[in-house]
Amino acid sequence: MNYSSEYDIIVVGAGPGGSMAAKTAAENGSKVLLIERKKEIGAPVRCGEGIGLESLKGIDIEIPEKSYSFQIGGAKLVSPDIQNDIVVKTDQTKGYVLDRKVFDKDLAIQAGRAGAEIMVKSQVIELLKNENKIIGIKVETDDGIKEINSKIVIAMDGAESTIARMAGLNTTSDLYNSDTGYEYEMVNVSCDDLIEIYFSKEYAPRGYLWIFPKSKDVANVGVGVGGKEAPYAKEYLDKWINGPMKERFKNAQPVAIKGGLIPVGASREQLVADGFMVAGTAAHQVDPIHGGGIALAMKAGVLAGKIAAQAIKDNDYSKERLMEFQTKWNETEEKKLKKRLKLRKALEMLNDEDLNVVISSLDDEDIEKLLEGNFPPVVTKVLSKRPQLLKAIGGLIK
Amino acid sequence: MWGEWMVYINGIKCIKCGACVGVCPTQALTLTEKGIVFDKTKCINCGACIQICPANAISKE
Repeated sequence: MNYSSEYDIIVVGAGPGGSMAAKTAAENGSKVLLIERKKEIGAPVRCGEGIGLESLKGIDIEIPEKSYSFQIGGAKLVSPDIQNDIVVKTDQTKGYVLDRKVFDKDLAIQAGRAGAEIMVKSQVIELLKNENKIIGIKVETDDGIKEINSKIVIAMDGAESTIARMAGLNTTSDLYNSDTGYEYEMVNVSCDDLIEIYFSKEYAPRGYLWIFPKSKDVANVGVGVGGKEAPYAKEYLDKWINGPMKERFKNAQPVAIKGGLIPVGASREQLVADGFMVAGTAAHQVDPIHGGGIALAMKAGVLAGKIAAQAIKDNDYSKERLMEFQTKWNETEEKKLKKRLKLRKALEMLNDEDLNVVISSLDDEDIEKLLEGNFPPVVTKVLSKRPQLLKAIGGLIK
Repeated sequence: MWGEWMVYINGIKCIKCGACVGVCPTQALTLTEKGIVFDKTKCINCGACIQICPANAISKE
């Protein structure tokens, strides 16, 4: 393959966010290079693959049938004692369980069609700097180490982001605000068209367990636990599968193991520098309630790509110019995420007995309200059943 | 070297998810096509990678 030695914009990381950034910037007239470390875009998969219809609103993209494994009609929230559940069938909970291998690659293909050039099996090992300005990358490829210049580098290299740190931004995930996930893709798990969420302090401290169906009898079965919760995610999941869920999983066989880090605290404060932007999971733009990052990364990618392309047209790639990305993100998505972070903090205060009462006393409309950020009516209802939670959840009314 | 111990990554248990890379404060860990690469000169023995690993693949050596 032949590549130039100079591009307007280099996007690092060809996940859904990076591909959307590359596609958007190319469509807006920029000369774009999209770089992926792995030899095949989309593989290996490292997440539950769920995406909600609501979260896709505002992103101008079709999800072709081949890109998802199963269409989801809603979510089922199950209490710690597995005695009660709430089934919610709204746009907040309807969606898809994607086939990330196909989905991610298809988005990269769309970026390529829009005119972006793509490099796979290429690892960025250094950022080129002129004083404090980022002016390109040093990348290791099968053809050797290359230096490529750029006006703007957009880092969308996921939870294990190193690029933003090379730029001098602090993107280290602090342990407490990082969920750690472990998941089996399993066959012989009978499923409806619902994603299932299981709350349990015992089996998923500061997180939850999930069953995301990929077909009638195949599912992603996983756990996310809060960082610093010993011992480790795999042990919690194994204990759950072989314990309270033994009957459901008695014939289940794993066909894949997946896992990873989910930064859930809140978006990074500093998203731009001179000639540089960081977005998506690399910027910790992840939903603190469900830990989902795909749709948010796509939104961030579109926004970053658009602003970067305009900055190229304006011939101004300074931090001040690129700050538009940070400001717009904070005004829109981050506002919603901050609210959900508050809900997460309140949920973390509840023990299993509290959660049993909460789930048995709420209905689907209450959950819809919570997901929309309308907390007061639900908090009032919960407190009428369990007044001792005033201290834990009373703050949600303010 | 900073402390008395050094981290050891069990290549068989490791699922190459990159969680340790994301929490390492000194970029001593890198995820590559071949797996996790550990640079002991950068390690400060903080143990963050050990605590976050979902597969219990990292231990003190």
